[in-house]
Amino acid sequence: MNLRDTAMDALRHAKKADHAESYVIESVTHAAYIDGGRISNIETKIDSGISVRVSVKNKLGRASVTLDDNAAERCVAAAMRVASFSPKNSGFKGYPMPSVSSVKVNIFDKKIENVTAADLKDIMGSVISSCRSEIPRGLLRLSVIRSVTANTNDLVTEHESTMMYGHFTSMFRGDRNGEGTAAVHGVSLNFDAERIGSELNSKAKASASATPFRGKEKMTMILPPCELGYMIASSAGSALNGENVFYKRSLWHDREEKKVASKALTITDDPTIPGALCSAFDDEGTPAKKKILVDNGILRSFIRDSFIGESTGNGMRRNSTDAQNVYDSAVSIKPMNMIVTPGRYSGDDIIAQTDNGILVEKFAWPECDPLTGRFALEVRCGRLVKNGKIIENVNNALLTGNMISLLKRIEHIGSDPVNIGSVTIPTMSFSGTELIGNE
Amino acid sequence: MMHDILSKAVRTMMKLGAEFCDARSQTINNAAIQSVNGDIRHLADRAISGICLRAWMNGRWGYCTSTSLTDDKVSDAAADAVANASGTPGERIELIVKEIKKKERQNVRIHPHDVDMREKVSAVLDADSSQSLANILNRVGSYSEEVNTNVLINSAGSEIEWEEIRTRFRAMSVASDGKRMERYYDGPDGTCGFELVKGLDIESLGRSVAEEAVSTLKAKRAPSGPMTVITDPMVSGLLAHEVMGHASEADEVVKKRSFLTDAVGKRVASDIISMYDDGTVDGAHGTILYDDEGTPASRTVIIDKGIYKGYMHTLETASKMNIRPTGNGRAENFGKRVWTRMTNTFFGPGDRTLDDIIADTKYGILCDKMVNGMEDPVGGGFEAKVLRGSLIKNGRITNMVRSFTLTGRALEILRTADAATKEVIFDGGMCGKGIEDWVNVSSGGPYCRSQIIVGGG
Repeated sequence: MNLRDTAMDALRHAKKADHAESYVIESVTHAAYIDGGRISNIETKIDSGISVRVSVKNKLGRASVTLDDNAAERCVAAAMRVASFSPKNSGFKGYPMPSVSSVKVNIFDKKIENVTAADLKDIMGSVISSCRSEIPRGLLRLSVIRSVTANTNDLVTEHESTMMYGHFTSMFRGDRNGEGTAAVHGVSLNFDAERIGSELNSKAKASASATPFRGKEKMTMILPPCELGYMIASSAGSALNGENVFYKRSLWHDREEKKVASKALTITDDPTIPGALCSAFDDEGTPAKKKILVDNGILRSFIRDSFIGESTGNGMRRNSTDAQNVYDSAVSIKPMNMIVTPGRYSGDDIIAQTDNGILVEKFAWPECDPLTGRFALEVRCGRLVKNGKIIENVNNALLTGNMISLLKRIEHIGSDPVNIGSVTIPTMSFSGTELIGNE
Repeated sequence: MMHDILSKAVRTMMKLGAEFCDARSQTINNAAIQSVNGDIRHLADRAISGICLRAWMNGRWGYCTSTSLTDDKVSDAAADAVANASGTPGERIELIVKEIKKKERQNVRIHPHDVDMREKVSAVLDADSSQSLANILNRVGSYSEEVNTNVLINSAGSEIEWEEIRTRFRAMSVASDGKRMERYYDGPDGTCGFELVKGLDIESLGRSVAEEAVSTLKAKRAPSGPMTVITDPMVSGLLAHEVMGHASEADEVVKKRSFLTDAVGKRVASDIISMYDDGTVDGAHGTILYDDEGTPASRTVIIDKGIYKGYMHTLETASKMNIRPTGNGRAENFGKRVWTRMTNTFFGPGDRTLDDIIADTKYGILCDKMVNGMEDPVGGGFEAKVLRGSLIKNGRITNMVRSFTLTGRALEILRTADAATKEVIFDGGMCGKGIEDWVNVSSGGPYCRSQIIVGGG
């Protein structure tokens, strides 16, 4: 049975529900791992499953199972059983109605569909040979994803995409060992092994030369896309999330049409610029569309799914790094491709215009508290900038601040946007963070 | 039936040239309930199942995982696994695997499947409603259960079937005074059944979480810089896990990525520090009967009175280092890779009381609950985020401080550890390797005092 037939079969079994939705997905993933500088594992992963949501007298239930011959029937029965135990939900607004999407986006790469173990070996081999430092750990995952969403409003949408995700660490061995990291995200196999190898080498060497920062100092924070992407997703992304607005735990829940950031900042969610989550429809079948979220510092709108209501086409089950077990995930609100409009400065220009700052090449993990925007992050490798020049590399320190507040203190926006999963962002600098070291 | 499918896959992989292979099936049944402000936000019954076939040839692995279990698909998967064992040839080692034939069920008092879903929903809503308090913006109650059934057959003749059952119950409050928001959470977890919830005073759990969230609104920014820190059992566990645990995973050691490579026999901490990884701790969240390679769980002494003792192993790393496997070859699920992973990782007890340690602390900070942490096996650093804490001045607890982060060099910190309490407490959670591959673990320890860099956000 194909995906569409399975989805429709589930709806036939869900006749006793007032509303029902089925989501069926299959994926094939090819992955290769590097361990200790050699290709250690090559993997093929075949995955398929179904998720069913039902509403019976405003009692909601959800179930998901791996696909087999009677998966649709079993999944519906489980969802109906769960709903029977659920109290009435006052917030349910129904599943999306059929609608037409105007979004056209190229998110399928035949090269990924046809990739072989030998291709993966070649690609990973190129990364290893392009990096002058050792690569202790690396992963490249290439997936083909096909899904169907159907509901009892006669909505049926189909999705087909490819996804590339890679993550590598490098190690420079010397008196002090240094580690670098690099990640790749995308929908096509435009993998530049030489660039990745060179980036890994330079980061590992910089890290090896870093020495512990001493003292405490207020300074400008310069973040390249690889560090800033997750910081923005966990701060502004959280504040723009309609569910957080609904429950009033977004710091921007009452700030619509008000200033929330420097005038230089414009954020859109644009499904037409290819990214791992982009699609003509979201995973609930609502048409995707380009939305202006922050316009020259003014908050214009939020992103929503069908549960929150007035869906903006951001009800997602998929994620931007892994195609497996997607049917097992609940719908949650995510941007398809949250884009910070680039500025006019190169990374070097930004450094040149910074009097006293730190260019963070690697945090332990870049994230903010989604509730408060606060962060205090370990700097694994930072490059101190004085009077427009990098003077030394430091580590063993904490960089602290509040990202929501820092959005009002943007110094520069770069012209070098990079896609980091569901965020596309350039290098940016912010004034007013504090670096704290030992003694 | 499943045994037949897996046995056939093993035979096929061996016939195609595997030196060693295993075939594992897994079914994970999971029920999850979450309420927000009195409404059930999520109520789901989930089941994923599939197989993982692994073939070992010339020092490299080939994997094929599949959710399809028809005869021809499994045969194809077996062939793919062998074909995929085509990476860079590695060290030619024979994996030393002991044959085990066993079928074991996990011992729980009340199997989650024997409890009506209504009772679980009702418990969650009770946790939600008991958080009703002025200034509470969001009341969240949640319950989850996971029943995980595994069958593993390998070319060494093992046939093992086992079960893992976990439950978790949480209350979380978000408080707001109109200007600031803060949160607090609490709740138990473990490898146990619904007895976890039956034995719980849900109303007092919810009320206390709400009160603590409201009280955190008055917390000040934490001081910054190196200072005396008393970590609570949760943060002590996070240090054990992040600071030394990840660097003691032998896959990081065989590729010489860990700063603890060649550390065995050396002093790495003050003599009050002992540390273990123990997959057999009764009821702890990271407890397992077998790892995902079929090795029985065991207790590994990592540090004994400050002296570094040894690493955690998979079949591959144990064979490379000519040592017995420790039962730490774990995968997120059948669809993911097996790595060296922790189970229950903790510092051993000391001989002091908390009051006693606070009383002889002139100026410091007492941690209260962790948020998350990040390892640094290469540099020997760590990052541990703490939900909140209290300042200590002249032996007395004074102001509450809001979330802050701890960092520093692992070995420097553990050498400054000078006091620990008598009781070890565990806290369950999920551990990722790098940034993915999440497995159930717990970490724990006593209250422990040392010198660490603090930064308040």
